[in-house]
Amino acid sequence: MQNQAPEISLAIAQFVRVLRLSGVRVSVAETMDAYRALAWIDLLDRRQVRAALQALLIKNPSDRPVFDRAFDLFFLSGEAKEELFARWRRQKEAEEQKLAAAGQELAQLFQPWEDYIPEKYRLTRENLQTFTRLPAREQKRLKELIAQMRGNPVNNPGELVARVVQAALNYWRYYLLKREAEEKEVSSPEDLFPVSADFYRDPGEQILYADLQNIQDEQLPKMTALIRRLSARLARRLSRRYRQSRRSRAIDFRRTIRQNIRFGGTPLELRYRGRRPKRPRLVLICDVSASMARYSRFVLQFIYGLNSAGQKIESFVFSEDLERVTPCFERRRDFAATMTDLMNESRQWGQTTNFYLALETFRREYKKLIAPDAVFIIVSDTRTVCWEQAAGLLGEMARKVRDVIWLNPVPAAGWSGLPAAAFRKCAQMYECYSLYHLEKIFRKKIPG
Amino acid sequence: MLDLSIPELHKALEREGYICDLEQAVTIYLALKLGKPLLVEGAPGVGKTEVGKVLSRVLQTGLIRLQCYEGLDENKALYEWNYQRQLLKIQVLKETGCAAVDETSLFGPEYLLERPLLKAIRADRRVVLLIDECDKVDEPFEAFLFELLSDFQVSIPELGTLTARQIPVVVLTSNGERELSDGLRRRCVYLYLDYPGVEKEVRILQARVPEAGEKLIRQIALVTGYLRSQAELKKRPSIAESLDWARALVALNAHCLTEENLHFTLNMLLKNQEDQDLVRSKIGLAALLNSCRENETGPQEAGRREACRAAGGCRRA
Repeated sequence: MQNQAPEISLAIAQFVRVLRLSGVRVSVAETMDAYRALAWIDLLDRRQVRAALQALLIKNPSDRPVFDRAFDLFFLSGEAKEELFARWRRQKEAEEQKLAAAGQELAQLFQPWEDYIPEKYRLTRENLQTFTRLPAREQKRLKELIAQMRGNPVNNPGELVARVVQAALNYWRYYLLKREAEEKEVSSPEDLFPVSADFYRDPGEQILYADLQNIQDEQLPKMTALIRRLSARLARRLSRRYRQSRRSRAIDFRRTIRQNIRFGGTPLELRYRGRRPKRPRLVLICDVSASMARYSRFVLQFIYGLNSAGQKIESFVFSEDLERVTPCFERRRDFAATMTDLMNESRQWGQTTNFYLALETFRREYKKLIAPDAVFIIVSDTRTVCWEQAAGLLGEMARKVRDVIWLNPVPAAGWSGLPAAAFRKCAQMYECYSLYHLEKIFRKKIPG
Repeated sequence: MLDLSIPELHKALEREGYICDLEQAVTIYLALKLGKPLLVEGAPGVGKTEVGKVLSRVLQTGLIRLQCYEGLDENKALYEWNYQRQLLKIQVLKETGCAAVDETSLFGPEYLLERPLLKAIRADRRVVLLIDECDKVDEPFEAFLFELLSDFQVSIPELGTLTARQIPVVVLTSNGERELSDGLRRRCVYLYLDYPGVEKEVRILQARVPEAGEKLIRQIALVTGYLRSQAELKKRPSIAESLDWARALVALNAHCLTEENLHFTLNMLLKNQEDQDLVRSKIGLAALLNSCRENETGPQEAGRREACRAAGGCRRA
């Protein structure tokens, strides 16, 4: 291990960091294994290096596209890397030139009041950077504003102008940063790597990761097939046999006899049948109000898939009030017919949301379902009236059931503006806006 | 045993009928060199179990297989005392009037029933231990398994600690029915087997069913590839199924695909009534045949196709 060049260990460490930043879990032990593996292969053969790193760092098929993309970007050939850095340097130089020009231009404009502007209102480098990145129209507007102040006879307008300009530039900086984050602009070689894993996904797999709200109609058949496959796989897992003892202290004869053979068959040490994990009863409460309609459709489709593969789920829809829709799934009809039934029979589709009222109805009419073996799955964006009461009531119910899992189609970053915090006190809340999330939550969080 | 280089191992695997990419060969090679278990995942029928089998042939050593299932416990996987024999011994000693039974003699190696895991550890030479479908075992057993796989030693209260004479080559396979623990994954070299592309499938078919002939093999690979790309199918055909299909067509003396033999043998490829109905009604057998013809090249091919159609698709036996 010591024989390898230090550059190799550095490259491996950096590459692992890139993978981690892209959302792949890589342990230190795995990194060391990868490093050891490189001693056994031909380092000049790119395919071998790729295969070795992939075999030792990537242990989940879903991470493979991320790995491929990261590998291609990270292990560039010498020329490609040179080219990338040259481009980056050129960009930097151009930026510096622009900054200098902008600095001069603004300094000229501020020139008449040069001596009157206090130190804290002088334009910083950051302000200048923002200025150079403004749209031309905005730059012109700002310059005109300063020029107009020139003829102003007010005493010492310098400070006022500088403050106004600085405030405007601060606003623009915030706005530009926000837009940049949304567009994920690549501006330096370092920026190429730490982007979210979704960026790297294989386009063929994109649909699994796509926001359900953005699924186009022509993608629906593909989506439906995918949902069917995912739900069938999950149902198979959920329906695994669990032997369950009738009484908690039932004697296990086979193991008792085995254990006591050493005592000549006299049962001195009894062996009991263990309590087997019991399958939870799943209760789905799905928001079908106007804002949620599209998500609900997919969630219900998923539930339909699980139902038709043999997994029983009590299903409810709500918006202004709550309705039980389990019977629709029990008729064993195809999905289109089931959805038509659902839409026709329910008065909840596309209404406003009152989660509190829905929960009240649930508590009143389906009291039996609030039991220790129940796992509640709530699908909603938390936008509801009376959310404080609803959170209180949900908290009460949560204490009586095994678990409350909340699937929120709003990405976690956007929860601060919603009453999500109140509901998070009594439910495990997960962002769930793609099939990937849905499948992962069902696989990992919902007990089989 | 391990003095093969990567290209040599690659060739040896192919010689034994296991067609794989260089990447797969590198992964297998690293598992051997680093002495780590090889975890193979992929859809059913892509050749996961075959990795273990072919490795034992390449390394010219024994294969010990542990087939996992729900409820598998240490008794069945590791060792068990031969109770019947012990009881018999006590009975015999009693009847021969031997008053003092030496208890330790009842727990000697001759009363120990070695199950696959112990057998692999105690083997005189390095064997291949194939732990098949390890996603089917319960979580506690999985934890036990990865403990065993990191130390390669077992404690038997009556005999003491048994250490591996030779660390076996371990191949674990999983269908991904249950998520394996991160601990187990971390300890393994990971190999994911995907459905092959057309060219690779052609090579696999040539290696495994050479009697099918080049033309038929190509058609089989194209049709199978086309079906795999169909999102509506419940279960995509695997390599094992395309091999079975090829063998079935050979048994019917077919030398190219026709609607007729496709109709009779579709159940070899699609093991699901709904999928078969879908292909027959929605896609259509004729369209399926066309899908593979469009990809075939050259006017000669078209001419031969015509001749084939005229001959009725099947050789008369």
